[in-house]
Amino acid sequence: MTMRRRDFLRNLVITTGGITVGGSLLAACGGASSNTTVDGLAIGTPEKPIKLPVTTDAIADGLASETGTLEILNWADYHNPESIAIFEKQFGVKVTTSIYDDEAAAIAKLRNGTFKPDLIFGMSATGLAKLIAADILQPLNKSYIPNFSNVITGLRNPYYDLDSQYTVPYMIYGNGVGYRTDRFDKNAFTDENGYDVFWDPQFKGKVGVLDSPRDTLAMAMFRAGKFDANTSDAAVIKQAGDDLIAMREATNPKVDILAYTEIPAGNRDVNFTWSGDLFTALQYLPENVSPEVLGFWYPPKTITTNDFFCITKTAKAPVLAHQLINFLSDTDNALLNRTYVGYQPALETITVDLLISSGTIPESLIDALVTPERYDAALSQVTLDPAVDALWLDQWTAFTAG
Amino acid sequence: MDKSPRLWTGFAFPGTAWLLALFAVPFYAVACVAFGSIDPIFRDAVPRWNPLTWDFSESKIIFSSLINGPLQGVAIRTIIYVVCAMLLSFLIGFPVAYFLARHAGKRKLMYLVLIILPFWVNYLMRMLAWVNLLSPSGLFSRFMNILGVHYNWLDGSPITVTLGLVYGYIPFLILPLYATLERLDWRLIDAARDLGANSRQAFRLVTVPMSKPGLFAAGVLIALPMSGDYYTNDLLSRSPSTEMLGNQIDFFLNASTQPQRGALLVLALSIFLLIFMSFYLRSTRQHARETTR
Repeated sequence: MTMRRRDFLRNLVITTGGITVGGSLLAACGGASSNTTVDGLAIGTPEKPIKLPVTTDAIADGLASETGTLEILNWADYHNPESIAIFEKQFGVKVTTSIYDDEAAAIAKLRNGTFKPDLIFGMSATGLAKLIAADILQPLNKSYIPNFSNVITGLRNPYYDLDSQYTVPYMIYGNGVGYRTDRFDKNAFTDENGYDVFWDPQFKGKVGVLDSPRDTLAMAMFRAGKFDANTSDAAVIKQAGDDLIAMREATNPKVDILAYTEIPAGNRDVNFTWSGDLFTALQYLPENVSPEVLGFWYPPKTITTNDFFCITKTAKAPVLAHQLINFLSDTDNALLNRTYVGYQPALETITVDLLISSGTIPESLIDALVTPERYDAALSQVTLDPAVDALWLDQWTAFTAG
Repeated sequence: MDKSPRLWTGFAFPGTAWLLALFAVPFYAVACVAFGSIDPIFRDAVPRWNPLTWDFSESKIIFSSLINGPLQGVAIRTIIYVVCAMLLSFLIGFPVAYFLARHAGKRKLMYLVLIILPFWVNYLMRMLAWVNLLSPSGLFSRFMNILGVHYNWLDGSPITVTLGLVYGYIPFLILPLYATLERLDWRLIDAARDLGANSRQAFRLVTVPMSKPGLFAAGVLIALPMSGDYYTNDLLSRSPSTEMLGNQIDFFLNASTQPQRGALLVLALSIFLLIFMSFYLRSTRQHARETTR
């Protein structure tokens, strides 16, 4: 069975919680966030952005497009086949797709040569660190990607890849609360206590949270006013675990990544989820149900994440790979791509007004959009020290094991 | 003449090779992951193939968690669900197998096909179909509403998970049980009746004891997959209050940075089931001895 994008997201936040970045348990108990570089793995954090090492040159300017085939590696259903067909016609080439269903496994297959794509879609910052450590990527030549200027300003020089040497952002999403506007008062969500609904017994059986330790434990921390999404403070992590157990007793929430089907189907009134899920949910609304029944509360302080494109060092069609990145970073093409994928392209040119006027999202979902301002104010998840990671996982086990 | 024992021993080779390739080697690999380490950069499991270098530190954490920690609840719940599902499966499956073996007559084949037919459909598809039927607006829920039973079957219910286990595995109980019952010498029942036993006594004192090997085999056949099941809970509940050990194994192996914990839980479950299995082997051997006497 092929893993879909949201399975990836579940795994991603777990994976980001697991890479060695140095520090020790002693440091972990001190309450500081982990970051930086150890054991050959280069990881940037918002506080300590990283310029990745370059071991080879980017392709030269002005090269002609290759003919033949461009091979891409992507998650299932994470690009619009119609967009790719237009690209094929425009450039007179064929695009073939290999699917991956687990980032770590995909990187293992890239390392051992099972996958030999030209272009990779949808890798995370953690994946990037591994790809760099394995020396799999080539630096980009942005003269082939003029549409890079469409990218959200704050992502043109991201902390995980200063100067965007290897990556161009693809999709962006934030953590928040999806709900049914026909069953739920929007005013229940205030900046201070928006998460309280998950602990309110009157909503028992009608709520869901993400099957994602880092996201859901962080949500409990945010509710308690602790806004370090990468905390190594054992007491804070333990309190978050205890709070989730209290939530379990109060509302017996579903723990999965199915908000995009369960909310539109009417099986849940409220779900802690990724903003992109609400856009995907539009495709799952039963007939004769207005899209306006879908709402989203975007907390003022929450986690916002993005993924990106990158090109392999062994690419046989590197120019075409650059051109496809450029193609999908074009505003119109990105809009078309979004109609299939659901998630929000990380482009500044795709504004709230444009999305509303293009009729692709209802006004009730304006709050699910990641605006440049929201991205600038966002909290980030970074890799944890294994010892700290174990603290998070222990609390998650205590919650899920009942 | 000397070659004969060797020849007969040689016949065991395919079976031995099969067991080695598909059981012993994978099981050893699981142990090597369980007692191995994690790649510091890529966070993959790094198996330790040499048992002399095995690291048991993580196993202490997992086993103490199972006995007196966060995993204790899920372990107890798994046992309860499996025991309840087995009892229910026996209650439903035994009469069905008995009917097939004793009373189905010429229509035996048709009944067998009817029992097996739904199970030609993939387990996942069948469960998804049940999700549809059990949802508040589903046919089954609406029918139960008419009967006055108002119950949210998909609201993280232990009843639904247990019934899902029964539904998923009951053919594996009915078929071996039917095979055993069909081979019973029914003249012994008739003899019991002739000697004054009523039908209930004949069933209790003759049929059930003679069905023991089939009952044990069927019990083992369904207990093993039920104990490691995670899809039933994933599809029918998705609530932490109904999580089973299989869900924790799935999480640690597929979605966490500590795959060795998943491998350790596999080992723990295997050890537990091995106890059950050895009890089954002992009983069948004892039964074989009694019948050859």
